[in-house]
Amino acid sequence: MDQAQNKVYDLLIVGAGPAALTAAIYTTREDISTVLFERGVIGGLAAVTDKIDNYPGFPDGVEGLTLADDLRKQAERFGAVIELGEVTNIVDHGKTKTIITTDGDYTAKAVLIATGSDYKKIGVPGEQTYYARGVHYCATCDGAFYRDKRLAVVGGGNSAVQETIFLTRYATHIDLLVRSKLRASDVLIKELDEYVKNGKVTVHLNTPTEEIVGVDNSVVEVKVNEDGKAGIIKIDGVFIFVGLLPNSQFVTKLVDIDDIGFVKTDENLHTSMKGVFAAGDIRSGATMQIASAAGEGATAALKIREFLEGHES
Amino acid sequence: MPKQVTIFTTNTCGYCQMVKKYLGAKGVGYNEVNLDKEPGRQDEALKLSGALTVPVTVVTKSDDSQEVIVGYNLARLAPAIA
Repeated sequence: MDQAQNKVYDLLIVGAGPAALTAAIYTTREDISTVLFERGVIGGLAAVTDKIDNYPGFPDGVEGLTLADDLRKQAERFGAVIELGEVTNIVDHGKTKTIITTDGDYTAKAVLIATGSDYKKIGVPGEQTYYARGVHYCATCDGAFYRDKRLAVVGGGNSAVQETIFLTRYATHIDLLVRSKLRASDVLIKELDEYVKNGKVTVHLNTPTEEIVGVDNSVVEVKVNEDGKAGIIKIDGVFIFVGLLPNSQFVTKLVDIDDIGFVKTDENLHTSMKGVFAAGDIRSGATMQIASAAGEGATAALKIREFLEGHES
Repeated sequence: MPKQVTIFTTNTCGYCQMVKKYLGAKGVGYNEVNLDKEPGRQDEALKLSGALTVPVTVVTKSDDSQEVIVGYNLARLAPAIA
């Protein structure tokens, strides 16, 4: 570890999700020394997604964990090093940057911020109180605790619908609470419809969730507003998939960010700090898809290579 | 080095993989209780952690005291296995 920390790397990548790992595949194939730092799951949100059907090259879809692991193996095959730890700051020394991590400081000529995003909270009473005791954000982690129980899933996008389908393997019934209308892809909605027809899932449109209620440390019901009328749905647990927020807390004072906290870049994926790039979900204007994150990772790698070539001269 | 480490996991849990990866990288052996294979032990995990979630890592130290870490939490896991 000490030897590694004395070295000046070509590139340090903050994050090890699809954008970061794809960038690392490209850079390490070109002998650009690359170290990635990941505080959570290698593979990011993709790794905690049950099944991914829209990543190209997998005609039958692919399990998120499998895709994440294969991306990792591919990056490591060409020499990428993945350290487990959290990056807390980037110090600009001009020609080099030092990243401060929970496991020591590392220096490089360029940095790629690819920290991705995390699931938003609804922000209703009871949500924080019952977190991990009836309120969850990861179906692949916690779904198994709800065998033969009733669940609610909050959200109307691809994640909410995909994870509802995943949770049907455990729950006896799922109420899908959609604030306005379903925004998931037609393919997913069609798949969901099979579970609606067999009674396993009930979809509630125009139904914002207002409160999560528990008794004795367990969730027992959710209060909703269904088409303007107050209602109560009895459930044993709630899984929440209502959108994504950027993991940009450590850089908000270092680089330009937009109103929501996503990192701004130019057409070369360069941030406002020279030598620091951004790619994937963390980037302002990103489309929050695994396929586009991988594409941005590859683009970033090529732009970083150009930057490093100019750096030498 | 701890006396014993037990991890409660499920097959689809990405954070569980990370705990195993971290322990492996540190050369710390562990027993794994896979709740998909042993669903009857879910209550045990819940009683230890107070939470309906995995991973739950139980570190038994040399003095037989136990520390329970819920989720993939390096800030707690690293000192617990030191």
